[in-house]
Amino acid sequence: MCFKNLPIEFDAEGKPHLRAGIADPYGPTATVPRGVPAQLTSGQVEELLKRNGFIRELDFDPVTRVAGALAFHTVADFKARKVVEARSMATLFRGYEVIMVGRDPRDAIYITSRACGVCGGVHSVTSAMAIEMAIGCTPPPLGVLVRNLALALEFLYDHPLHLHLLAGPDYSSAMVRPTNPGLLTRARTTEAPHADVHGFRRIGDLMDDLNPLTGKLYLEALHMTRVAREAYVLICGKYPHPQTIVPGGMSSTITLSVMNEMFTRLAQFFDYSKKLTAIWDDLTEFFYAANPAYKQVGSRRANMIDSGIFDHHEAYDATYANAPAWGDRRWATPGVIVDGELVTTDLHRLNIGVEEFVDHSYYEEWSGNGQRQRFPNDPVGNPLSPYHPWNKVTKPRPQGQNWKEKYTWDTTPRWDRQSMEAGAYARLWNTAVARNLPPNPFIESTGTSLKLRLPKGALPEMEIEWKVPAVWNAFERNRGRAYCTAFTALVALNNWLAAMDRVKLGDTRTSTPFEMPKRGEQLGVGFWGAGRGYLTHHLVLDRGAVANYQIVTPSTWNASPTDRWGQPGPYEEAVLNTPLLEETDDPKQFKGIDILRAIRSFDPCMPCTTHIHSDAGVITREVNTCACGADDDGG
Amino acid sequence: MTTAASVRVIVAGLGYRNLRDHSVGVAVTDRLEREAWPPGVVVEDLSYNPIAVVQRLEDEPADQRFERAVVVAAVERNGRAPGTIVAYRWDGALPVEEEIHRAVTEAVTGVIALDNTLVVSRYFGALPDEVVVVEVEPAIHEFGDTFSDVVARRFDTMCDLVMVYATSSEAVERLPRAPLGGSVLAGVTSI
Repeated sequence: MCFKNLPIEFDAEGKPHLRAGIADPYGPTATVPRGVPAQLTSGQVEELLKRNGFIRELDFDPVTRVAGALAFHTVADFKARKVVEARSMATLFRGYEVIMVGRDPRDAIYITSRACGVCGGVHSVTSAMAIEMAIGCTPPPLGVLVRNLALALEFLYDHPLHLHLLAGPDYSSAMVRPTNPGLLTRARTTEAPHADVHGFRRIGDLMDDLNPLTGKLYLEALHMTRVAREAYVLICGKYPHPQTIVPGGMSSTITLSVMNEMFTRLAQFFDYSKKLTAIWDDLTEFFYAANPAYKQVGSRRANMIDSGIFDHHEAYDATYANAPAWGDRRWATPGVIVDGELVTTDLHRLNIGVEEFVDHSYYEEWSGNGQRQRFPNDPVGNPLSPYHPWNKVTKPRPQGQNWKEKYTWDTTPRWDRQSMEAGAYARLWNTAVARNLPPNPFIESTGTSLKLRLPKGALPEMEIEWKVPAVWNAFERNRGRAYCTAFTALVALNNWLAAMDRVKLGDTRTSTPFEMPKRGEQLGVGFWGAGRGYLTHHLVLDRGAVANYQIVTPSTWNASPTDRWGQPGPYEEAVLNTPLLEETDDPKQFKGIDILRAIRSFDPCMPCTTHIHSDAGVITREVNTCACGADDDGG
Repeated sequence: MTTAASVRVIVAGLGYRNLRDHSVGVAVTDRLEREAWPPGVVVEDLSYNPIAVVQRLEDEPADQRFERAVVVAAVERNGRAPGTIVAYRWDGALPVEEEIHRAVTEAVTGVIALDNTLVVSRYFGALPDEVVVVEVEPAIHEFGDTFSDVVARRFDTMCDLVMVYATSSEAVERLPRAPLGGSVLAGVTSI
């Protein structure tokens, strides 16, 4: 039974249905998730602030070194060295769902790409998949393979960027020196176990080269983004907004020359992955050994969701009915993990468990008040919540900030009413445990780990192993992302080899012709992934035009606010669990490095940096709010 | 062209397409690409990740690096009337390292802006020493493929200015050196 909170049961054939005898099965009073840390009420926080000088507000506005506009409000107890309140705020409205209504669905491929300035291509592909499901169009095998390659290359841009440009500086000597000088002293004399792979003799040397702007690892990551981008534009035309994504495949022309050009760039990531994993293994183990309390930084329950990615070219048929079958044959298995246990890999079950709430978000409710639920069931008759994306309507309502009421533009997606985390590491975790990988020579899923066999380059051939971690925290997120770089490069290698086989056979067809329906209503969903994890686009077509379009990104999950049951969102929960380990007793000198490590480990991408529509016009870059001025009237 | 270019020049438009006044930089280079330029002048839309701009400029052979960049864009600055055109030679002054790091973060996460592009590409040594900026104060920030009236009226002037600064070293030398944003003194009323 994968659902513990939603009233969904399964018959003998495994077909889900709503439990009988419940008048309002999706009502707000349904079962409250248990065993989750709760936020203090605003009144309690106010009282603490009044009575104790060592409890202070600490605001990060904006949170720097993340993509887009994120602010974070905390109340910290400097005596107990812990955070007692954490509030995550997406400070811009993401208006793509509104922009899409009434348009030709093919526009979504180009418009939704603009939701992100880092990885627009993932949105293009996800929208193409939603369209091809709605209209019934299956890409040819090479179209699927090239699509996989494009997305793998996008991730190979994304992961190094995060590891060494955004999160990496948190572990650099420039940052450790002012916050934890004792740690840096220790690093100067600690031998790096994997020096033979990454070339840094001591941990301190490694920290020096993580320094922003001047560190070799920082500069190398900038270079590697170029390598990935060059390979990407060979098949997608432009980066980050591709021009060759179409429903039913890709419009790229694939030749041996293109394939070879791509491979010379892809191959550079085999050695780079060996280095990345060695670096993040050494850094992680150093911090754990120096102070085991670092295992609590950014820790939270291992609750994760991933929609899976990288279809098998002989399995994907773009139908919703067969989604569990083709989902299980993906190179990255879809799935949901609750408290460290994989509870489903079935895309139908994953889909029907998703709900999106707006209790603390700047939107109006769309359900209730006697309104008819548009889709009580998915296309194969499984029950759907009125809060499911196919039923959701985006109704923005800007207003003042108030912790008790509304404080963010992010919504609150929940699966089985639980707060789930998305990330590259969820991709690894599902794939490692599910053991559904297609047969291949490079990646092995053991049930508790992924063994990754990286080919010889300047460094020798190497087998590395990502193991399901015993603790879940900021360090494991970064370590997981490093291993996911290797995983992604090897998925790309497998798909490159399969694509070469197709090209050698003369099967160079990359797309399937289609016609847009002019009548009736159709549903589609793209189950795909961003570099940062889970990504879905839910589409409702009505007489050939978009009637509803709903996007749920990884950061929609991760940055979500506290929900109606008092359950904090993943950033909030991770920060609430973070000990303050900085070596200062003076709150004025406090930089909040552990809080920032916790937040940045999620690789926040507030998917709205590029073009945002508001009542006042279009915003092309982030603006800052002042969290300190929140109108908080208690409660 | 009345004056042959004696230096290698890149004319760079910056902005977002379909964003009304904020598209003016790329609209200028779209138009100027069709002109007959003397050898050594390259006209390009550089409206992408500034790190990729750095890499594109570094790709020029060592003996053919650009010696002058003429950069054109719409930029919102405080205290300027919409439609105001300001042209200046950028003094190349960089902000503190923390701000540069922030600029790089914005660059790799997709922000396209004149200041960001110039700071990042100067920091990494990709820009030529001589950088001429032609910027206009936008009136409207909205989706669409038409300019506001006030910017539309200045569009031809912007194109003319860019052409002059791309081809005339004398005209460039008459421009004041200024930090990003220029100054009132740098405002252009005639050329």
